[in-house]
Amino acid sequence: MNVVALFKLVPDLVEELEIDQSGTALNTDFLRLIINELDDHAIEQAILLKERSGARMTVIGSDAEGADDVLYTAVAKGADQLIKLMGDPNAVINNHAMARATAIVLKELQPDLILTGVQAHNDLDGSIGPLVAEYLGMPYVGYVSGVNVQNGRIVVRKEYPGGLIAEMEVDLPAVVGIQSAEQPPRYVTVNKVRQAMKTAAIEERPLPALDVSGGAAIRRMFKPESATRAKMIEGSTEEVTARLLDIFKEIGAL
Amino acid sequence: MPFRETFWNIPHWAEIGQYILGLLTILVFAYGVFRRVKRWRMGQPEKRFDQIGKRLWSVLVDAFGQARTAQDAYAGIMHLTIFWGMVALFIGTALATVDWDVTHLFFGFQFLINGAYILYELILDIFGVLLLVGLGMAVYRRYFIRPPRLQPATAWQNALAQNVDRDDAYALVMLTLITLSGYFVEGLRIAVSKPEWSPWSPVGNALASWFIVTGDPTNRTLHLTLWTIHILVAFILIASIPFTKLFHILAAPLNIFFRSMQPAGTLIPARNDDQVGVKEWRDFTWKQLLDFEACVRCGRCQDACPAFASGASLSPRNFIISLKTHLWDTSSGHRLHGDVISSKELWACTSCRACVQVCPIFVDHLASIVDMRRYLVNEGEIDALLQKTLANLGRYGNSFGQSERLRVKWTQPIQAVIKDARKEAVEYLWFVGDYASYHVMFSDITRKTAQVFQKADLDFGILYDAERNTGNDVRRVGEEGLYESLVEKNAAVMSKCKYNTIVTTDPHTYNTLKNEYPANGNNHPVLHYTELLDQLIAAGKLQINKKLNYKVTYHDPCYLGRYNGIYDAPRRIIRALGCELTEMPRHGDRAFCCGAGGGKIWMEEQPEVKERPAESRVREAAGIPGVSTLVTTCPKDLVMFCDAVKTAGLEGKILVKDLIELVDEAM
Ligand code: SF4
Ligand code: SF4
Repeated sequence: MNVVALFKLVPDLVEELEIDQSGTALNTDFLRLIINELDDHAIEQAILLKERSGARMTVIGSDAEGADDVLYTAVAKGADQLIKLMGDPNAVINNHAMARATAIVLKELQPDLILTGVQAHNDLDGSIGPLVAEYLGMPYVGYVSGVNVQNGRIVVRKEYPGGLIAEMEVDLPAVVGIQSAEQPPRYVTVNKVRQAMKTAAIEERPLPALDVSGGAAIRRMFKPESATRAKMIEGSTEEVTARLLDIFKEIGAL
Repeated sequence: MPFRETFWNIPHWAEIGQYILGLLTILVFAYGVFRRVKRWRMGQPEKRFDQIGKRLWSVLVDAFGQARTAQDAYAGIMHLTIFWGMVALFIGTALATVDWDVTHLFFGFQFLINGAYILYELILDIFGVLLLVGLGMAVYRRYFIRPPRLQPATAWQNALAQNVDRDDAYALVMLTLITLSGYFVEGLRIAVSKPEWSPWSPVGNALASWFIVTGDPTNRTLHLTLWTIHILVAFILIASIPFTKLFHILAAPLNIFFRSMQPAGTLIPARNDDQVGVKEWRDFTWKQLLDFEACVRCGRCQDACPAFASGASLSPRNFIISLKTHLWDTSSGHRLHGDVISSKELWACTSCRACVQVCPIFVDHLASIVDMRRYLVNEGEIDALLQKTLANLGRYGNSFGQSERLRVKWTQPIQAVIKDARKEAVEYLWFVGDYASYHVMFSDITRKTAQVFQKADLDFGILYDAERNTGNDVRRVGEEGLYESLVEKNAAVMSKCKYNTIVTTDPHTYNTLKNEYPANGNNHPVLHYTELLDQLIAAGKLQINKKLNYKVTYHDPCYLGRYNGIYDAPRRIIRALGCELTEMPRHGDRAFCCGAGGGKIWMEEQPEVKERPAESRVREAAGIPGVSTLVTTCPKDLVMFCDAVKTAGLEGKILVKDLIELVDEAM
């Protein structure tokens, strides 16, 4: 079985985000990228599948600062093939475009199963999983927290609010959006990653042309404006209630 | 003429038999030793043949002098009397044999005659009494006082507990038998031959009077019987040395001879290139195997261990005993990790070194704990919090997972600019450390440190956002690769800076910079801030304007005290400030760890823990009448203790302060 895990690098929120001059993008001077946390879970889930069912596992991401680290770390965990899509993925923040481009690469690889994080904090036009599924004509299940292979199909586990859990059988090939892996992404020592750097090879492929249609266009990017409109009402419960009623009347809510 | 026919009343066949038995004993003994040595050699190589002079000296002081054994009064007297009693009697017996069967037989002269003989008899009788006193103390302690450190662990299987019990009892029974039978042989000989110098053997003489009733032929038979028992017990005892607890007679001095001669703060690096640590017992070095084998189960390490005291599943004594048992266990199929030593035990250790410090035979528990941790880290078997912290350290260079740029946030309210050591030459490169830089509780204290330095007109600078965690505790967690990468990053920046001396706030930082970074090419002196302030005060460069008059007690941080022997500098400063210092019961090299070290501060609390070490420590401090402040000199201590004061409900009873706060107040 061929399992592919897709990842992307997103701004690391440890650094304060700044908006650049244009007002439509982040200032990249202090921008620092980190793997989208749920993509890390997708990689972990793929490794678990490989360990359990002996799949061949490929990790794909776009060229960006830190992408090599992610790839080498994945190989240290057990990935077989590393592919880096060369081009500027941050030229657009557009999952439609990325999904189309990635689908072209994926077709060649003929995967049985594609895993990716169910969302990322900088998704503007929906998450990438369903888009990839659409362009590849495969079924998609999202918010999944466990995948098993059974008789040529997969059984996914999906958690719903209120403690409901569903198990679904999905035909392959398929795309799955991972909410969390069955276990938290494992730790790999610096030494293992260093060894991986010496031995593993990253295959560089061109990022196919980006077609942005269907995505979102950014008109203005701004930080939540802070205002001092909140008023604290103090006093005993009765006083607070009376004051609240007055306010409701004032604004015509009562 | 006072002398003794050594083989009086001993028929020739018995005398010859004794020699044959002796030969056999030597063979069994040699085989036993060979078997042990062979097992140690199955471990990994390790160089321990340097500094022979120092090593021999240590054997003299610590093995023969038993300096550490004597630090515990009861056990010290007990062991020293048994040891010297046995040594004296052994030498005595050997002398008598040589006197009779060598010099007398072949050369026709004896040296144990006249005055020499009388002195000989007297001394042996006295040492015999000492030996019995020691044995009595041992029996009394082991079977009547029953201190917890001598009890089997609850986790032990019956078979192990029984083996240990038997082995302990065996040593005492045999030694007692040998001494008593010796005395009786002497008594019977005196009863029959009645030499006029017999009062010089007071014990033998007293015993002789008992046998007046039995009279001659009986006494001769009795004498021969007891002599035979004495000889048999003696030979069995010797032959059994390599197979029982008595083996420590050899292994302890060997272990002391081969102990690490490096500074206490230098951890042995991961051995194998792939740094996977110890997976099976053969991955330990021969010296570590010798550690396990030499242990005498005295339990001192367990008594000193903060993890054990807190209720966690680790006892350094049990750790070593389990490893030794495992070494010889070829049939059970137990795996080292999991079956013999649990990961919980390994993660409970705070790396405080209290165990290593008290072990009379210099076992290095910590080296083996870290080696086993390395394996767990390599396998990814670490708790979620620790994993997050290691990832943060790898990514951001600090354990807080914050941006490098926030490392110097504490400087913002400071008026005078602190020099950037990367841009200009400074005399002192101040390595601030993670906790002092990032922890909200400490930023004010770090500002005070800067103020004190500035008031003392110190030419100092910091590395700003280029400083990284030095990796002291990363290394002790067992992540050697991450440690190396942190060292590389720091070394790269430091190599471009011009400075004379490094000064640190954090004892952990201090330890690795001082003891482990030199291996990486940094040869500048490293000072803890207390050493620096102590020097400045002595040189009159630091003006103390106000006498503080507080009644304080001082906690020795592990990495300052036990690791680096700095006990006096902070105390001198405290006194110079006009404070009255009262020591806690556990102070100096016996100071009780706060529980933060070795990466513990980055791990989740183990559910077994009943009283956290920090709480035990603040209670100890609060228990001293009149003491208002617990002074420490380590940022992690401060954080741990402040928290513990709250959880132990001691707010208002005791304050926790870093020494620099007091210095700042007094200036
Ligand atoms: S180093 Fe400290 S915590 Fe670890 S085993 Fe020794 S005494 Fe216990
Ligand atoms: S390791 Fe040392 S201190 Fe601990 S029980 Fe053994 S001999 Fe005693």
